[in-house]
Amino acid sequence: MNSQRRNMILPILLALLAGLGLGLAYSWLISPTQYTDASPSILRADFKNQYRAVIAASYASTHDIERARARLALLGDPDPVQALSAQAQQMLAAGEAFDKVRLIAQLASDLQQGVISIPPTSTSPAVVVNTPTQTNQPLGETEIVEATPPPAGAIETPFTFLTPTPRPTQTPIPLPVEPFALVGQDTVCNPDLPAGLLQIMLMDARRRQAAGIEIIVTWNGGEDSLFSGFKPEVGDGYADFLMEPGITYSVRVVEGGTTVPNISIPNCTDSNGQLYPGGILLTFQQP
Amino acid sequence: MSSQNWIRIVIALVAGAAVGLIYGWIIDPVEYTDAAPNILRQDYRTDYVLMVAEAYQSEQDPVIAAQRLAILGSEPPAKIAGNAIEYARAQAFPPDEMTLLQGLLTAMQTYQPAGGPNP
Repeated sequence: MNSQRRNMILPILLALLAGLGLGLAYSWLISPTQYTDASPSILRADFKNQYRAVIAASYASTHDIERARARLALLGDPDPVQALSAQAQQMLAAGEAFDKVRLIAQLASDLQQGVISIPPTSTSPAVVVNTPTQTNQPLGETEIVEATPPPAGAIETPFTFLTPTPRPTQTPIPLPVEPFALVGQDTVCNPDLPAGLLQIMLMDARRRQAAGIEIIVTWNGGEDSLFSGFKPEVGDGYADFLMEPGITYSVRVVEGGTTVPNISIPNCTDSNGQLYPGGILLTFQQP
Repeated sequence: MSSQNWIRIVIALVAGAAVGLIYGWIIDPVEYTDAAPNILRQDYRTDYVLMVAEAYQSEQDPVIAAQRLAILGSEPPAKIAGNAIEYARAQAFPPDEMTLLQGLLTAMQTYQPAGGPNP
């Protein structure tokens, strides 16, 4: 009797394992759990990109940075600012319209700097007059937010400025464009940097780095367009360009800036007295 | 082998399968990492539509708005916006957000995609 029982243990164990295998195969392969209430964090990468783009477009309209931050958190990115910046660079590399890219870069910049700013437009910047629309709001609480001195690209406000209720309407008021002027042209001798690296730094009137500004680099027979803020790990007002030996370049900041001519790769000397190609750092600032 | 033993084997098989199903469906279900937005939970869908409506308010571009809504599924954009309004109404969204959604719905109802039926 006992040996008969012992003989049955193996078949029962095998049957148990076979059943387990069948159950797992059915639940993982044949009929896996159907997600119908998914969160944005499990979206495919391209859909996440689309989601981020819509968050940025919404932010450009509402200027509600806390809400944009909360929405980005739904995507589960370890570093939402880095994700936005990377997406902006990818879009730029793919040749997408700058208007789309700028919204994403602007949101990344605002999140990093902690300010609510208005993206610069090709015509003129604007300030926002916030007029609560609810009738029970006392007239004395009507907020008019205007930066002092007038900014060209960004208006710094505390986060408590836009509260969900009442939501303000926005009336843009044009301000004159403040041109970027060259305030520094330095030779950079750093063998760790790529040879011929042209670094450009843009500062606004408050000496804060200005993101999303277009810069044109021209040379004999060619032209390239750069935008500040696509390398926030270096700086929101930073852009760079790799110069080639023997070519002279001109650099112009599109937002009302003058042209800086005769930019070429400088020669640097290392500790052994050997010449090597250096770089240039141009610093522009609004008055 | 006696019939009693066969019964034991079948019971073991069924018990194993039950454990496998519980493990595969409940304890450690398949994790989706590359999902499409059409399976987003309704509140996320509605918030996405609200974002589109907020952007539409300043952009006033129904083509872009329709393209943005299209990732939520194959339904017409107006239907997607309508579903969002129903959910927003049920959840008592603030009036300004309802106004935005209504504006988007109106735009999508009159929107004719390029290449659509000619009048």
